[in-house]
Amino acid sequence: MSRTPLVQRGVEYVAGRLGAGHGVTKAMRKVFPSHFSFLWGELALYSLIVLIVTGIFLTFLFDASQDVVRYTGSYAPMHGQHVSAAYNSVMRTSFDVRGGLLIRQTHHWAALVFVAAIIIHLGRVFFTGAFRRPRELNWLVGCTLLVLALGAGFTGYSLPDDLLSGTGLRIMNGILLSIPFVGEGLAFAVFGGEWPGDGIISRLYPVHVMLIPGLIIALLGLHLAMVWRQKHTQFDGPGRTESNVVGEPVWPGFAMKSIGLMFLTAGVIATMGALVTVNPIWVYGPYVPAAATSLSQPDWYIGFLEGSVRLFPHWEPRIGSYSIPNPFFSGVLIPGIIFAVLFAVPFIERRFSGDKEEHHLLDRPRDAARRTAWGVAGFSVILLLFVGGAQDVVAQTIHVSVGHVTAALQIMILVVPPVSWFVTMRLCRSLQRRPPPERTERASMITRDATGGYETVEADVPSQPVLSRSEGER
Amino acid sequence: MNLRARRAAIGSLTISLIGGIVAVAASAADWSDRVFGAGIAAALGGIGFALVAWSKSLDLPEVTQERERLTVTEAESAELRAEIDLTEDTVGRRGIVKWLLGGSVVTLVAGALSPILSLGPAPKGELSRTSWRRGRRLVTSDGKPVEVTRARYDQLVTVFPEGHTDSDDSQVVLIRVRPELVARETVEAGSVDGWIAYSKICTHLGCSVGLFGVDPRDPQRLRQLVCPCHQSVFDPLDGAKPIGGPAPRALPQLPLAVDADGYLVATRDFDEPVGPNTWNDQ
Repeated sequence: MSRTPLVQRGVEYVAGRLGAGHGVTKAMRKVFPSHFSFLWGELALYSLIVLIVTGIFLTFLFDASQDVVRYTGSYAPMHGQHVSAAYNSVMRTSFDVRGGLLIRQTHHWAALVFVAAIIIHLGRVFFTGAFRRPRELNWLVGCTLLVLALGAGFTGYSLPDDLLSGTGLRIMNGILLSIPFVGEGLAFAVFGGEWPGDGIISRLYPVHVMLIPGLIIALLGLHLAMVWRQKHTQFDGPGRTESNVVGEPVWPGFAMKSIGLMFLTAGVIATMGALVTVNPIWVYGPYVPAAATSLSQPDWYIGFLEGSVRLFPHWEPRIGSYSIPNPFFSGVLIPGIIFAVLFAVPFIERRFSGDKEEHHLLDRPRDAARRTAWGVAGFSVILLLFVGGAQDVVAQTIHVSVGHVTAALQIMILVVPPVSWFVTMRLCRSLQRRPPPERTERASMITRDATGGYETVEADVPSQPVLSRSEGER
Repeated sequence: MNLRARRAAIGSLTISLIGGIVAVAASAADWSDRVFGAGIAAALGGIGFALVAWSKSLDLPEVTQERERLTVTEAESAELRAEIDLTEDTVGRRGIVKWLLGGSVVTLVAGALSPILSLGPAPKGELSRTSWRRGRRLVTSDGKPVEVTRARYDQLVTVFPEGHTDSDDSQVVLIRVRPELVARETVEAGSVDGWIAYSKICTHLGCSVGLFGVDPRDPQRLRQLVCPCHQSVFDPLDGAKPIGGPAPRALPQLPLAVDADGYLVATRDFDEPVGPNTWNDQ
């Protein structure tokens, strides 16, 4: 009789002390459906791991202080200049620490990928209706994670105390000031006084490295636990019903692919960090309050907010003795509405569809034409705001005045959403009329025998076309 | 067994191995960060690609599992109801204790949160004051005063009150144009011999209004001040009124005079708050 394998003895040592003997096997056998669109959430998870690993390294090198020091590092053009200790430490990391620039750039790229993956994942969940009962709670957790990711990004790129991020903080200060009644006190509390306040960098630092990551990790745990408990959704197909789940067991296939994706993600982000410059603070220079640069854009995920404050008209109406600050509309109200609608998506849809049933089979976007149309219309607003955030770059590229680009975008923001709603609706309807895809995977197998002849062997899964399910709409 | 996928796994693991060796060598021999990074990236990507290819090579079959029920059954609902009824029968009557408990939790939370207020000083009108005073000279960031006779037309210089060059809310754009171009109200508000001074802090969101140039529509007679952040445009010849972009108000003008030594001075502080607005304004 052979000895029990070492791995099994190790697992049983732990499981035998927790009563988890059956649980381990059950977890290894748990089935996850596979589809390329299910990878985006995993991509977000794995870029977060890259962020944490590189971020820990950066905390050892960063100095969260705005004391003025003289730059003496190896970047010659800045020699002898007075800079903040924070800026100085990031310059040192970039030029005088082996692997420092690589880690810093990898961290920054990972942040850009992290938010992108979250948003594409959110789009997948929205357009396939995966947020419906029983997954409304997980939608809320996911949206909160998006907000936290944006907060992590903003606090992170503000830390180097360079001119670009300092300008971003000045804008954030202005937006805080525009909050009704408490704005002034809030801005003073956050910044420790009137702009530029009393060491904002030293306040952002614990928020960026402790508070927000802690919340992200906690909520991500909840997010994954709910997916585990509720089992993943799946697309309709042969043998797939509302009451089962068809796919690969965790062990070994799913785990290998997923861990492989983790390494691939890290590899691609590390390649970008090694070869593609991002956030070159030595080009921006240190923050000087009386300076600002043209063609300055924040990291891409803040672009919609930048566009909102750029495109909103110059109104500042009066109500009684109060004048309502212009940024209240563009910097508080509009993003507030965007996120309120986003969080409310499952409840808005249930209100209009009256559908209170559980759903584990995903919609193809065309089959839920109304939802898809609203989603595309909403997304077009965000996209136009994003373009508006770089309207000066657009103007320079196409040689048109900034004012004209702004006016064109203001008109488009009113016209494009209804048009795209209508076009998407028509597109979905005509796609619905197309014949369903033929499902041939694993349905038949061709084998070649020793004499060179071919033979078709019928597999046990019946080949049946998937019918387009109607949405119950007019 | 899928042989192609297996070969791919072997190939990419070899690349990963070489990448790891390159990274170690780069680190030891102090080569550039790029080589080190490329080595690490190859080591990571190689393992990732190999794992995916390996799992594909196994040709594992799909498996079907039943879902568990998630909804609450009537029996479970009745159980919960019984527990709640039991709670009301046993705990529910003690009204005064419940109210006191709720009250003490509320006061505890309020008390525990109050230190948040000490994160920053309470505003005491700082936003409506700057460091400009009557007779204070305009100096550049290195402390040099501005002679009224010096400087050519159509140039911008950033100035501060003398002795307060670190006062961020006092930053001012000082420009000089041909005196006949300046609007009459702007002259009356404190422009001297073509010199005009405005708060440099944008009334939209507080960026530094740092771009000055001729207006392409009429380069002879029109000038522009532009905020680089959100592309607000102001007319410096006419009280820095906003003529484009999101800025809702004119940049406050600093009234100027010339002191006995021929240097530019302010005649008083701005008569309105500089920078972005708040709801507290009257």
